[in-house]
Order: sequence, then C-alpha cells, then structure tokens
Amino acid sequence: MSKAAQMARAQVVRILIPACKAAPTPPVGPALGARGVKSMDFCKEFNAKTAHIEPGVPTPTLITIQPDRTFTFITKTPPVSYFLKKTAGIEKGSGKPGQGIIGTISLKHVYEIAKIKATDDHLKHLRLEAIASTVIGSARSLGLQVVA
Amino acid sequence: MLSRAAFGLALLRRRTCFIRTYSDSAKPLSTPKEKGTSEKILSSCPENTVLAGLNYLKDQPPVVAKADSEYPEWLWKLIETKEIPNDGPGGRGEKMRMRKANKQRIKEQNFLKTQ
Repeated sequence: MSKAAQMARAQVVRILIPACKAAPTPPVGPALGARGVKSMDFCKEFNAKTAHIEPGVPTPTLITIQPDRTFTFITKTPPVSYFLKKTAGIEKGSGKPGQGIIGTISLKHVYEIAKIKATDDHLKHLRLEAIASTVIGSARSLGLQVVA
Repeated sequence: MLSRAAFGLALLRRRTCFIRTYSDSAKPLSTPKEKGTSEKILSSCPENTVLAGLNYLKDQPPVVAKADSEYPEWLWKLIETKEIPNDGPGGRGEKMRMRKANKQRIKEQNFLKTQ
C-alpha cells in the first residue's frame, strides 16, 4: 500500500489497559503517539468511561484513529483468563497445559463468568451455553480442571 | 446305579465346578436417600459460597453461588465427553471417527519428523 493510501485509512489499535489507570506512559503512550493521537486526551476519556470498573482490572479496548487524528474507542469486558486466574487464585497459567492440573474451578464459576461475558457486544448473538463452553476451553488452556 | 452316598458325592463334585476361583466383593446395598429431600447434589460448590474475583465492577457485592436447582440443566452436561454415535458403516459416526483418527495420525507423523 502506498504511503498516501495508508494515511487515508482509519487505523485500529487493540490494547489491554488497566481500568481507570490509563497514562501517557508506555505501552499506551507510544502506541497512540505514533499514530498522532494526543495520549492525554485519550487517557482522560478512557478513565472517565471505566470509572464504574474496579481500578486495575485489565480492559481490552479497540481504538479507531481517523486520518484527521480524531479517535473513538470501544471497551470490552475483561479477558476470560483474568477471571479464571482470579477465581482459581493463581498468578499465571500453566506452562504445560494438559500435562498437569494447577487449579480447579466449579461449573458455577463458569456460569457466572459466562454471564459477565454475555454482556459484551460481540458475543450477544451466542447462547449462554455456547459462551460457557468457550470459558471451559480457556480453563483447559490454562491448566485448570473444571469440576461439577 | 449310583448308591445314595455316591449320588451325594457326585452332586458335590458337580457343585464344586461352580466354585469361584476369584474374589468378588459383595455389592453394597443402595444408599438410602436423605430424609425429606429427593434432590441430588449436582455441584461441589454448595449454595452461598463466595465466588472470588467475579465482582470486577466498583462497589459490586461479592458474587455468591446459588442453589443447584437455580442453574439451567445444560450446565451440568458441559463437562461430559461427547460420545461419537455408532450408526453403522457410512453414517456420521464413522466419518467423525475417521477424521479424528486421520488428524491424530498427521500430528504423530509431524512430531516424528521433528525427531
């Protein structure tokens, strides 16, 4: 793509930011600054939008930057792995999933996590049963055993 | 003509053929159901257990487990392994089984090539 064509398209930045704690420092600062967005403006807007969330919770955001340097962003629910790790009380997922169990999770936890994720826009067409199976899949990838 | 004693002995001998040569524990009597309730305990997580980490909103009360009966029926079937149906040659089951076996074979061959 030519430089001019690249400049004419809207750019999308996908980034995981702790709620209420956006700051111009890396990783947010360079990611936005490189595309011409004033990171201070973004941080103020982001912190305002995530004010209802507990501070520090990782929030995936999708920032769309127009060629005239204006931006819009969408926030989504925290990642499933974050919830699973918190529920099971572990810091990091297993280095070798499938070769050992590092924690256990109940189906009731899975149900509640699925309920939270179902509020997301990009999942609202799925049945809760389907979302719950994806949560179980993530648990398996982390090395957690799902028990009834 | 067998005498009475010989007849008895013969019966005994026949009976000895049916003595088990292995041990088998007696089947336990079916456990009596809990008094008053006819509900099975489906979950390892009893009612009113605090589910940690799921209250990610500010000032959200802790998320608590509900009673087993308040969860939908499909929840308890999520961790059951899927059984591939056996509908004879040419059916869906055969196709699924063959695909699974082929994928497994490819993975094994690929792994061996790295060795």
